Amino acid sequence: MKKIITYSILFLACFSTALSQTGTGSISGKVTDAETQNPLAGANVIIKGTFLGAVTNTHGEFKIYKVPVGTYTIEASLIGYQRKLFSGIIIKQGEEYSLSLQLLPAEIQEKEIVVTASRREQGLQEVPVSVSTVTAKTIAERNNITLDDALRYVPGVNLMQDQINIRGSTGYSRGVGSRVLLLLDGLPFITGDTGEINWEAIPTHQVERIEVVKGAGSALYGSSALGGVVNVITKDFSQSPELRFRLFSSLYDKPRYAEWQWTDKPRFNSGAMLTYSDKSGPLGYLVSVGRTVDESYRQNDTYHRWSLYSKLKYDLSTSQNLTISANFVRRTHGNFFWWRDLREATRPADSQLNGNVESNRGNIGFHYKEFVSDKFIYSVKGIYFGNFWRDDSAGNVNNVSASHLFNFEGQATYEIAKSNILTFGVAGNYDKVNANLFGSHPGVGGAVYVQDELELTSQLRLTAGLRFDMQKVSSLPSVAQLNPKLGIVYKLDNETSLRASFGSGFRYPGISELYITSSTNVSQVVVLPNTDLAVEHSISYEIGAGSSITPSVFVDAAIFSNSFDNLIEPLVQIKRYKPDPTSTREVEGPVIQFENVTKARIQGAEVGVKIDWWKKHLSSDVGYTYTWPEDLTEQTILKFRPRHILYASGALTFGNFKSSADVRYVSRIERIDENLVRLAPIIDGEQRVPIKVVDLRFSYDLIDEGLPVRVGFNINNLLNYHYVELIGNLAPVRSFTLTLDGIW
Amino acid sequence: MKYFAVIAIIVLFYSCDHGLAPPPAVEPGFGGTIYFAKGTWPPQDSLVNVWLFASQVYPLDSVKIFSGLLSNPPTIYIYPALDGNLPFFVDSVSYSFKVPPATYRYIGVLQRFRDEINVRSIRVVGVYSTTDNPPLPIPISVGDFQFVPGININVSFHKLPPQPF
Repeated sequence: MKKIITYSILFLACFSTALSQTGTGSISGKVTDAETQNPLAGANVIIKGTFLGAVTNTHGEFKIYKVPVGTYTIEASLIGYQRKLFSGIIIKQGEEYSLSLQLLPAEIQEKEIVVTASRREQGLQEVPVSVSTVTAKTIAERNNITLDDALRYVPGVNLMQDQINIRGSTGYSRGVGSRVLLLLDGLPFITGDTGEINWEAIPTHQVERIEVVKGAGSALYGSSALGGVVNVITKDFSQSPELRFRLFSSLYDKPRYAEWQWTDKPRFNSGAMLTYSDKSGPLGYLVSVGRTVDESYRQNDTYHRWSLYSKLKYDLSTSQNLTISANFVRRTHGNFFWWRDLREATRPADSQLNGNVESNRGNIGFHYKEFVSDKFIYSVKGIYFGNFWRDDSAGNVNNVSASHLFNFEGQATYEIAKSNILTFGVAGNYDKVNANLFGSHPGVGGAVYVQDELELTSQLRLTAGLRFDMQKVSSLPSVAQLNPKLGIVYKLDNETSLRASFGSGFRYPGISELYITSSTNVSQVVVLPNTDLAVEHSISYEIGAGSSITPSVFVDAAIFSNSFDNLIEPLVQIKRYKPDPTSTREVEGPVIQFENVTKARIQGAEVGVKIDWWKKHLSSDVGYTYTWPEDLTEQTILKFRPRHILYASGALTFGNFKSSADVRYVSRIERIDENLVRLAPIIDGEQRVPIKVVDLRFSYDLIDEGLPVRVGFNINNLLNYHYVELIGNLAPVRSFTLTLDGIW
Repeated sequence: MKYFAVIAIIVLFYSCDHGLAPPPAVEPGFGGTIYFAKGTWPPQDSLVNVWLFASQVYPLDSVKIFSGLLSNPPTIYIYPALDGNLPFFVDSVSYSFKVPPATYRYIGVLQRFRDEINVRSIRVVGVYSTTDNPPLPIPISVGDFQFVPGININVSFHKLPPQPF
């Protein structure tokens, strides 16, 4: 370890020496709105073909230090404004080049740049699949504590407690791995044991944006991308010392009914986050600590979390940088699996009353990136994700699991010609699980992928890709997968583009599904392993269009069809089995075993409308998704899938005051897993209603009063509507939240 | 203004409905229909009793049956009563069985075909099950204030389910 550190320091020192030997100057300036002349804060100013750049401060000012002597092109961008290039910037040794940059307001569809759809930066209009984004600003305004909360208002997405469902891909089954792939800065981030997404392991306050790619994405990202990909992109560093804090406290209101008031004491959900970041020469760093205590509106559902996040970035030269990040989360959580019954919906079943789950989760990653030339860029990155949890009941430990997951990847992007961009790479993973429920098993995998983007005409862009994956789990035979993708974008004019895509997806069975060997402490039924499970597959087709009907109205619509094969579900069967591995006799009775049981097709349509009113003082955003989720095996609707999802939000902004409202409607789940309800057993588990939630938010920025602080007040679930996302789990009651965000 | 009108309409629409609510307190139990396969009823002289039973214990043996019936509180309950019967020679009968809140792992229909009282004089002729082949018992849970409907049982005196003893 000591040697590694010594070599690393020498390596960094060599590069920084090389950098310092080159003559340098600097670039400073101000970015303003071309129409109003107001300074623009948060604008990105970068030097093309290098990693050098800066973000404007609240006065619209920026400064880029240590720019090597030479001639450059500068790009300035900001959401809501047209990206602009300034070329012919000549930097002389020791001199400061001063610039005044003016940006024109953009039409809505030009707002967003995404990186997930094609593994490189692209305008949203150039992408052949449906992509939605959630920004850091939205996350902060909604006071989302965990990332799953932030995704509840993305069109086509709905969550069943913590399990994400994109256009009906997932449904819900406890213990089955996710059918949506979560990426953290581009690398897979699902747990090694259950193959699930663990939202709490992601530092929400360090998220720059979330990109949600809808439809199968295994041709670029491999296993688990059956229904879509969620990529969480973390923030970069400030150019000068910056201290950010966030304080919040929520008070849960009482439920509407006296039967559900299990305590007279007020229940709070409070937290604090503190982040310090700075950039000194080539070195940028960020350290963040967070604490959350949620007393919950339900009995034995308290949540205590400590989180620590740090990131370090070193510019080895103007064209090379290395980023190292580390994150640790410690959590204890009451074991509220489901309610006692609907009359006592805020109390857990007796068996869970004294249960507790304790987890320690952490990840450490690196990312090396280099511009070899203007046309060729490559990166190497890796991440270790450690996951340790145990649950206990009245102090007796029931289940313990430790999983270690390593992911690495090398990727290159080569601009063969202006109209032809090639992206290719290799990826690999190794995971090791040790758990009393799943046994001790390793897994190893590798993949190669290639994608070509071809601009056939100025209007027509074609994307084709292919990925080959191979995975081996424990002593089971290795499994190979080949996944293609194809996409076309046709720009009718500057305002309208049409898109069509085809993609395939797959998911390897998780170690938990293959090897689970006993019952959990919350179920009365024996669970048996099944090492014969086959790989799940999906194929997605989509046709869509996006158009700015006027400069302030943007409409996007898509129709899609996704087919799934070999979906794994826990199946209740009458079988003969040994009550324990050492037993010589067999008994006959009901058991749960994961099986490839479902062949499904999900067809639907999605439409989104964004409108700016009254010179952008008022904005509205409406998204509606209709799905017809068909279980082709049983010739009926798929379990746990809603047919209608409608989100609507509106925001009113006057100076430093902002108010906004969100409305969420998810139609009643028509079919659930009745065996799960019966066998768990979950009393009144079949009770469910449509989801109808209204949230209100108000915020005021005190910057003009000389305080760099924003005060916010949110009312979540304004109408105190009672519903379940997951069977037997009453969703949060109305809550009132006060937030304080500041920057120094 | 239109925008605010739309929001107001949505909020008004939403505010009429409060979603889930606790059900009124009911006497705990379960109910459903027992279907008797046509043409399988045995002769009257072998029908001493026909009962519905609900046992918290499974599997059963002769000791567990008698201790389950006689313990306090019992773990096996009989419907309509030990000295009563389900109606004979019918195609189906609806029932409503009040039982204490608990998980019942074995629910079925029992025929007593001889006057003597021992396990050799009784047999299970139908069982509440999710599967027909073989029809093995599936548990149900009855909550404190819960009546579980839809517990339907198929009985064929010619095709008996696996016997617990």
